[in-house]
Amino acid sequence: MKNRSLRSAMTTNTFLWGWALILPTVIGLLVLNIIPLIATIYQSFHKTGDFGKGNIFIGLKNFQKLFSDDAVLQSIINTIKYTIAQVPFSVIIALILAVMLNKKIRGRSIYRTIYFMPMVVAPAAIAMVWRWLYNSEFGLINNLFNLNVNWISNPSIAVFSIAIIGIWSDIGYNMILFLAGLQEVPKDYYEAADLDGASAVQSFVHITVPMISPILFFVIVTRMIAAMQVFDTIFMVMERSNPALYKTQSLVFLFYQSSFVERDLGYGSTIVVVLLMIIMFITALQMIAQKKWVHYN
Amino acid sequence: MKKKIVSLCIVAVMTSALVFAGGDAEKAKVAPSKPLSVMIWDSNQEPGIRLIIDDFTAKTGIEADVQVVDWNNYWTLLSAGAQGGSLPDVFWMHSNESQRYMSNDLLLDVTDRIAKSSLIDPKNYPEDIWSLYTYNKKYYAIPKDIDTIALWYNKTLFDEAGVAYPDENWTWDDLYQAAKKLTKADGSVYGFCNVNTNNQAGWYNLIYSNNGYVISEDKKKSGMDHPNTIEAMKWMEKMINENLMPPQNVMSESGEDVLFQSGKVAMTLQGSWMVAAFRDNEYSYANCDIAMLPLNEKTGRRASIYNGLGWAISANTLRADDAWKLVEYFGSEEGQLRQAELGVTMSAYKDTSEKWKNSVPRFNLQAYLDMQDDMVIRPFSRNTVKWENAVLDVMLKVWSKEMPMEAGCKEAARQMNEILAEE
Repeated sequence: MKNRSLRSAMTTNTFLWGWALILPTVIGLLVLNIIPLIATIYQSFHKTGDFGKGNIFIGLKNFQKLFSDDAVLQSIINTIKYTIAQVPFSVIIALILAVMLNKKIRGRSIYRTIYFMPMVVAPAAIAMVWRWLYNSEFGLINNLFNLNVNWISNPSIAVFSIAIIGIWSDIGYNMILFLAGLQEVPKDYYEAADLDGASAVQSFVHITVPMISPILFFVIVTRMIAAMQVFDTIFMVMERSNPALYKTQSLVFLFYQSSFVERDLGYGSTIVVVLLMIIMFITALQMIAQKKWVHYN
Repeated sequence: MKKKIVSLCIVAVMTSALVFAGGDAEKAKVAPSKPLSVMIWDSNQEPGIRLIIDDFTAKTGIEADVQVVDWNNYWTLLSAGAQGGSLPDVFWMHSNESQRYMSNDLLLDVTDRIAKSSLIDPKNYPEDIWSLYTYNKKYYAIPKDIDTIALWYNKTLFDEAGVAYPDENWTWDDLYQAAKKLTKADGSVYGFCNVNTNNQAGWYNLIYSNNGYVISEDKKKSGMDHPNTIEAMKWMEKMINENLMPPQNVMSESGEDVLFQSGKVAMTLQGSWMVAAFRDNEYSYANCDIAMLPLNEKTGRRASIYNGLGWAISANTLRADDAWKLVEYFGSEEGQLRQAELGVTMSAYKDTSEKWKNSVPRFNLQAYLDMQDDMVIRPFSRNTVKWENAVLDVMLKVWSKEMPMEAGCKEAARQMNEILAEE
């Protein structure tokens, strides 16, 4: 009897402590994520008034407009193009670098620092530097290699030039995650494989990749989500007068234009709601697919 | 060893905290309340504005902090502040946005204060500028400045090509002929430069000089498809198609100012707000000068699209009296003269621009003053940005040679009329 009441007192105690400890996070999530999410969905069914006053309910009109808006359809294509170009390269290059930097080579902490550096720099500063590297008249790239390429104003390549900036910025972060994963792989697996006569490539494919597949999966999912939301590099690198903008602007960029430049918050919200659905769909697909290739011990 | 370093760090942090705390305490003694917050978007004007504020602080003991936010982010930040009820105390207003802010009661109504003020008399400022900041016959801002447009040219490139400098008798055809001679076949120099997004300082002037218009008087109809507008814009089409301007992508990537400052283009149309930037650039300071815009032969007009910013006060500021004192000082004859002589920009107060003319003796700033004879206020309506962007996007196709000018003007008018109908 005595024992039981003690236990229940302890459970209540733990219960309270548990909530107290997660409360800051829950409040943060509510205020910064959940409430804005609901507000956005609410706005997408409205024609919004100035400064959040006088919203008029218009049902699905925003969605109707969206699906007949060529700019939106084009920007979905642009966003997908960017993601397909950015994610695989930033993951594969980072993985290779991580494997190389996991070996005992001279100055490896210097290399690790250098590759991680882009993560520390403000994205706006990165975009500004790249903007002038890419400049067709005065840019370092064209002048150094004596080229005449319109990196950021040729409609057929601009989106890939933007993706290169994304790859460059993400490699360091991905690499650090992979390095952490690689440290966990027991050395004896490689030794055993070595005794059995496996080549370096074979042990990479059959030991390294399966062993770090949970981290690989995590990186791919989060990077995909981030890539679908690309905005700052496009915003910083391209002007409204850029002939390639139409074939480069992402959904988030279009959302920014509608919401904050043209002040049509309702339509802007509709655009991000659609983006949210696309991202959820892709992530759900990945969650299903992971059962085929991710090994959790 | 490690312990020592850690304790050293702690000591360092604590002492620095003490030092800062001491500094704060000292400050608090001098000024009991926080400085007024002031927000502007033009970093070129910031040093001058700061000097004027210093004068103001010396006179009144009221302090003010200036924050510069670039044009694109300025309006995002301001509308977020408006929605969240945390606008800066004092800030710049622009004709593109003023109607929305005034009609939503976000700006302080200063009508009564003006009536009581001995420093501000509406008669001393251009009527058009008051009209930008008047709503239901109430004033919501004090005019800050005016601007006019002039033709900048690169003397060195003109000398090299053996072309006479532009003068007040130039017509738009003279400009075309000169651009032809100045443009080099290898693409190293272009005669002229006007990117599609530069409307106020650029092609709007062509339209109004030719008696065309962009928006009708009652703000209900687009004038982009008016025959006079189209006729004026055909001149621009000629400049585009004969490659007398850099390709659209080059103008977009580098910007007109950078191309001009690097001797890549010989002529460009720029507003008086650019003087500070060209003064501070070594190359343009040494090689460039200013002339009036060319004359339209047919109409005899030389219109300059102008605009004037206003100093506005947040409607829910806690320190309306102090904020008003600052705005009053900016708008007073003294503040306006200071603004002119510091070369910040032309002032709105009448007859103060003479001082501005002498602020950069090397440039012929008289050209900007002479442009004041035929001034047209920058086309605006309640939601200017929306139709302006639609028009710019269509013009982008014309500038990229994907669409002829006439079709572009008509398409722009169609889209603009649709947007205006919703206003």
